[in-house]
Amino acid sequence: MIPSLNLILQSILDGVFLGFLYSLMALGLSLVFGVMGIINFAHGDFIMLGSYLVWILANNMRSDPSLTSIVTVPLFFVIGAAVYTAVIRPVLGKEPLIQIAVTVGVGYVLQNLALMMFRAEPRAVQTTYLNFYVGLSVVSVHVAKLVSAFLSLLIILGVHYLLTKTWVGLAIRATAYDREIASLMGINVGKIFLLVFGLGIALTGLASSLWMTFGKADPYLGSSFGLLTWVIIALGGLGGVSGLLASSIIVGVIQSLTMTLISPTVSLAIPYIAFIIVLWFRPQGLFGKG
Amino acid sequence: MDSRTLSSIGLPALLVILVGMAVPFLVGFNQYYVLLALQSVVMASIALAWNIIGGYAGQLDLASFAYIGLGGILATMLMMNYNVTPWLGMFLGAGISATLAFVIGYPLFRFGIKGVWYALSTAALVVILHEVSIMVLGPFDYYIPFVEGWYYLRFRTWENLYYFSLVVLASIISLNLYISRSKIGYYLKAIREDEVAAEAVGIDIRKYKLLALVIYASILGFIGYIYIVSQRTFSYNTFSGPQSVYVAIIGIVGGLGSVSGVFTAALVLKIVEEYLRGYLGGVLPGLHLLLFGVLLIAVGILRPEGLSTLTDTLARKIKTRVRGGARE
Repeated sequence: MIPSLNLILQSILDGVFLGFLYSLMALGLSLVFGVMGIINFAHGDFIMLGSYLVWILANNMRSDPSLTSIVTVPLFFVIGAAVYTAVIRPVLGKEPLIQIAVTVGVGYVLQNLALMMFRAEPRAVQTTYLNFYVGLSVVSVHVAKLVSAFLSLLIILGVHYLLTKTWVGLAIRATAYDREIASLMGINVGKIFLLVFGLGIALTGLASSLWMTFGKADPYLGSSFGLLTWVIIALGGLGGVSGLLASSIIVGVIQSLTMTLISPTVSLAIPYIAFIIVLWFRPQGLFGKG
Repeated sequence: MDSRTLSSIGLPALLVILVGMAVPFLVGFNQYYVLLALQSVVMASIALAWNIIGGYAGQLDLASFAYIGLGGILATMLMMNYNVTPWLGMFLGAGISATLAFVIGYPLFRFGIKGVWYALSTAALVVILHEVSIMVLGPFDYYIPFVEGWYYLRFRTWENLYYFSLVVLASIISLNLYISRSKIGYYLKAIREDEVAAEAVGIDIRKYKLLALVIYASILGFIGYIYIVSQRTFSYNTFSGPQSVYVAIIGIVGGLGSVSGVFTAALVLKIVEEYLRGYLGGVLPGLHLLLFGVLLIAVGILRPEGLSTLTDTLARKIKTRVRGGARE
């Protein structure tokens, strides 16, 4: 069977929308890794936890999942700050393997907490008002994906503005560049770390609210998003929103095309093979410098 | 090798076999407990294989079940479809897993992929195999048809396979102890502690990391068949990402490079898992894994050397006691 051109165009469009949301998911991870050097293996599990929270909230408040971000974003900032204080700060100076192990532990706790509370059943929000298609001439637009892509882009530009145009952003970038000198210049590095980790997790709260407008909550979501966001960072290279956006869209489109043209069961295999091969030849990422 | 090194490598293995042999008698050949003992021994073998790449060489490998699945499924399918004895199949399994490790490891180490990127590449490898095997094997569970006898390494009761896996575990323990006392072991530990310094003193870090990876993968490919038989079934889910992470957790909680620590951690965690699953599994699925997560965080923060300091002191005490007894 040769797929029609319409089908291919449709899947590219869906992939682009998904890619924007992926870039929002990866943004927090990228911040935490870029500024603090912390390798967070629990990042995807925060998105998973957020998705369940959104499921509960949206069904109870009878609202669209995207509106739950009013709750998820501040709540996840607090959770992020708490996890930083309890778990991340004690291992800051230790070797990477121990840092990874600790975040793997956090991910394990979150994943199995979800398994205990919700069992292994995927859950979708009933009261989503954006989950419909608008037909254009050749393709139809999934409104929930369009809205989440647009909001993701808006937030990414907002974070970019925060980092490049404000004093806090300057302090964050100074800390990322050299934390000792930043500290000598009067920047409270501990506070910056708390802020960055909290912000990183708050962004996953927002991403979960947007994800649930069309996606499902599942205890194993964490492992797939966790690896996927790392793959995006590896492809994009650190230190720029344009690289992050480009690699997210590439991953989204590859995934979407694989689902349409080959099989949904290998939707991760192809981006991951690409990731491994890119890592060999361009360890700094496709869009990274140096 | 002088007799002293030989005894320090051989004695722990002999001890494990002797104590392990007694277990079926102690539990009165209760098949539930013998199977549990078998699964614990298999888990300890897997974790000790991981110890070579993760513990000695310090590479956070998250692909253990890629190698177990590939080697194990090859041996099992050869037996099911072509009546090939697992005695041959297990070596072929070791061979195919070693080949995969070489194909993946050579470019990884050639291009200097380390730390988090190494961990992610190996985690991606499991997902790739998982997805590809859904296409190849189909989305079902395979049950092994009942065949019996030493030719198939499958028996009506679990004891014989348990004894066999004890010998395998003892060999893996000896191999670990041998490596830790040999030139390879010192090189690997040097690489783990400081890769740049190790390279500066002339260690071929690529070669030794690749060697550690291939040894680890061939052990896993070999015991894959025992793992599958002890689970009674295999499918695309044998290529399990969470299980691979679990192996690394045992290795870290046990203490990197500590044979006694990893061995103890594997047994204790397996028994705790079974206990919690038996008593609370119906009510709270995943509780044991949640507790392991907490344990891992606690070990990382409070005791990065893992259980090893505890078990090492214990092992030393036993050793001096035994030596002292022999002298009298």
